[in-house]
Amino acid sequence: MARPALAQETVFALRETIARLEGKALPALAAAEAEHVAEGHAEAHARLATRVAELDQALEGGLPLDGITEIRSLGFRHAGAASGFALALTAHLQRETGNASPFLWISDRMAKAEAGLPYAPGLQAFGLDITRFYHAVPQRLEDALWLAEAALSSGIFAATLLEIHGNPAPFGLTESRRLSLRAKAARRPLLLIRHAGEEEASSALFRFLAEPAPASERRLPDGSMLGGSIGHPVFRLTLEKSRNPAPLCLDLEWNPHDRQFFALPPALSPRRDTVPASQPAARSGALFSAAFDRQGAPASMGSVLAFERAS
Amino acid sequence: MRLVALEEGAETVGLKCGQGLAEARAICPNLTVIEEDTSADRRFLEALGDWCDRYTPLVGLEAPDGLFLDITGCAHLFGGEAAMLEEILTRLTQMGMAVRGAISGSPGLSSALARFDGNRIVEDDEREQVLAPLPVAALRLEEATIQALHKLGLKQVGDLMEAPRAPLARRFGTHLLLRLDQATGADEEAISPRRPVASLSAERRLADPIQAEEDILALTAQVAQALTPRLEARGVGGRVFELVLFRVDGEVFHLKAGASRPLRDPPRIARLFAERLKAVHDDLDAGFGFEILRLNVLQHEAFDTVQGDFDGEGRGQQPLADFIDQVSARLGPDGLQICQLRESHVPERAVVPTSALSAAVPRKLMPEAAPLNGMLPGKERPIRLFAHPEPLETFAVEIPDGPPVRFRWRRLIHTVMRAEGPERLAAEWWVDGETAPTRDYFRLESENGQRFWVYRQGLFDQLASPRWFMHGVFA
Repeated sequence: MARPALAQETVFALRETIARLEGKALPALAAAEAEHVAEGHAEAHARLATRVAELDQALEGGLPLDGITEIRSLGFRHAGAASGFALALTAHLQRETGNASPFLWISDRMAKAEAGLPYAPGLQAFGLDITRFYHAVPQRLEDALWLAEAALSSGIFAATLLEIHGNPAPFGLTESRRLSLRAKAARRPLLLIRHAGEEEASSALFRFLAEPAPASERRLPDGSMLGGSIGHPVFRLTLEKSRNPAPLCLDLEWNPHDRQFFALPPALSPRRDTVPASQPAARSGALFSAAFDRQGAPASMGSVLAFERAS
Repeated sequence: MRLVALEEGAETVGLKCGQGLAEARAICPNLTVIEEDTSADRRFLEALGDWCDRYTPLVGLEAPDGLFLDITGCAHLFGGEAAMLEEILTRLTQMGMAVRGAISGSPGLSSALARFDGNRIVEDDEREQVLAPLPVAALRLEEATIQALHKLGLKQVGDLMEAPRAPLARRFGTHLLLRLDQATGADEEAISPRRPVASLSAERRLADPIQAEEDILALTAQVAQALTPRLEARGVGGRVFELVLFRVDGEVFHLKAGASRPLRDPPRIARLFAERLKAVHDDLDAGFGFEILRLNVLQHEAFDTVQGDFDGEGRGQQPLADFIDQVSARLGPDGLQICQLRESHVPERAVVPTSALSAAVPRKLMPEAAPLNGMLPGKERPIRLFAHPEPLETFAVEIPDGPPVRFRWRRLIHTVMRAEGPERLAAEWWVDGETAPTRDYFRLESENGQRFWVYRQGLFDQLASPRWFMHGVFA
C-alpha cells in the first residue's frame, strides 16, 4: 500500500515543480497562496489586477509582478501609446503598492533621440508619483541590460521599464530568460517596451501590441460628454502572447486622476479592420512590390510554435 | 631647423644645442635627427610625475625637464634624505633616463644644484657658499637677462649676492632679485601640486606585484580598513575616492569613484571599485602587475551614525543608495538621473535632470514634500518631450489663433481630428530678453488617435508666417 502513495507523492511533487517552472497556478499552490494572503502578507500575490474583467481574465489574474511583460509598438510614431500604456501600468502599480515607490526607466539612445525623454511634469499629470523616479540612458545595450538586471535583483524598484529599439541581436531569448529569472527571484516586474519591434520568441509572459486610439471625450459634471474635446487617453491593445489561445483586442481607457483602467464599450471603438492603424497613409498608391530578384521568406508550415529570431 | 637636445657624448664630436641642422650635418654626416615633439615630452614628464607620487603627494612640474618633489615629512619613510635621493635616482636611471637631483631647503636652490652642480644634499646653513660659485644661469632667468649680466661681468651668483640690490633692481627689474632670494631661501616659493591633495590617504607597497582583479579588490578593502580609524577620528565619511595603481614599469592609473552618501565601511568602498574596474576593464592593462596601491579620499563629508534598530525600520534608504553607487561607478556619475522640478512655465526649463549621485544627500536633508508651484493642476503636459522641438510643415491653419488642420511631421501627413488650445506661454523675458517670441501650445489628435503637443512660435499679428514645432507626444 505504501508504494502507490509514494509514487503519487513523487508525481505530485514533479507536477508542482513543472507548474512552478511554467508559472502556472496549481490548485494546491493557489490555495496556499490564498491562505498566505489571508494572513496578511501583501507580498504574496504576484499579480496586479487591472480591474478590467476581460483583461484580467486573459492575463490569468492580472499583470505578473514577477516576470517580464512586453509592450510592442509598430514604430516610433506609436511611442506615445506604448510608453503611455507601460506608464499607466506603473501608475496603477504605484497606487496599489503605496505612493512613493520608486521606479526606474531605462531608455535606449535611439528612443531618446526619436521619441524624446520622459517628461516629469507630464508623468505627474499622467498619475505617477515622480519623487522617486529614476532615469538612465546608457550608451550601450549591454549597459542597459546590466542596469535592468541590477535593478531587478536589487528589488528596490516597484517597476523597471526597459525601452529598446527593434530586435537587437545582443538581446535575444537567452538574455530575456536571464532577466526573467532575476525578476522571478526578486518578485519585481519588468516592463519591456519594444519600439518598432518584430514578434520574437522571448521569456516575456505576455506581449501586448499597443497602438494609439482616439481619446475619450471630457466628461462634464452632469455626466454628458464635451464634444470635440480630448479627454483621457485610450490605447488599442492586442494581446499577442498569452496562454489563452483566443486573441484579445480591446480599447483601454486610462484615467490619470483615479489611476484606473476602463474598458471602452465595443461600440465606441472602431475595430482594427476598418482603420488600418498599422499602415498610415504616407502616400497614396500601392505598397512596395515584392522583391523581384529572390524569393520572399517561405511561409511557415503547420502551426507556429515559436517565432524565429527577428534580429 | 636647429638642434634642441643631444645624446650623451655628442658634444665631444663638436655638436651643441642651438646649432643649425645643416652645420651639424656638415660636422657629422651620419647624424640621426628626430623632430622635437613638445607635447609628447610634456606627457612623458607628467607620467614621471605620476610615478613620483609614490614618494610624496606634492609633485610639481618644472617644464620642460624638471620635477619638484616636496619631501617635507616624507624622507624618514625612505631611510633619510640621502637614501631617498639615491633610491629615486637609481630607480629612474634603471628605467633608462639620465637624471640628476638635489635636496635643499628651497626649490630654487635644488633646481640650480641639480642642473649645475651634482647630486647632493645641502643643509640650510651652507646654502650661500654652495650657491656662490654657480653661474647666473642657475637662477632660472631669461636668456636676455643672462646675456646682459654676462656683459656686465656678473658671471657667478656670488657676484650678484655681493652687488648692491637697488641698482640691480633698477637695471634688471625685481624678477632677478626674486629669483636670487628664492634660491638663497630668503623668499618663499610654493610648489604647486599637479593633483588635488587628498584629505586622507592610505597605501600598501607590495613585494610581489598583483595582477588579478580580485586581488586588487581584496587589497582595496584592506587599505580601506586602514583608513577607517582615521575617518572615525574625524567623524567623516568619504564621498569621492581615488584608487591609484602604480604598475611595475612606471605606469600609473587613477580610478575615481563617487558615493551617494558618506562611506566608511571597507567592503562598501571596495564594492565601488568593483564596478569601476569592470567598466574600465579594457583600459586597465595590468602588464606585469601593480606594486603600490593607494586609496585617496578626495572629498569627505560629515558621517551621520545611525543606530540600527530591531524592527528593520529606516533601512529602506540603504539599498537604494547602494544601487545608485553601484550604477554610478559603472556608468559614470551621470549614469542614473532623477528629475527635479523647477518653477518655470517654459516646458523645457521646468525640469532639471540631476545626477542621482549628487542629489541623494541634499534631498534627504530637505523637507520631504517640496511644493511644486511650477505645475498648476489641470495643465496638460506630454509624457515625452523632445530635446529639440522639431519643425512642422503646416497646411491650412486657422488664423489668427487656431490649430493647423493638417501638418507634415517626419514625412508623414497627419490630419487633425480634434484640437485643444491654445495655451499661451510667453517667453521668460528675464532670461530670453523681451523680443523672444510667445508660444501657443495645442494638443492635437490625428485621425488614427496619435496625440501631439505642437506649438506656434510667434503670433500672427507680429510675424507674417510663424513657424510650427512638435514638442512632445501624449499617451
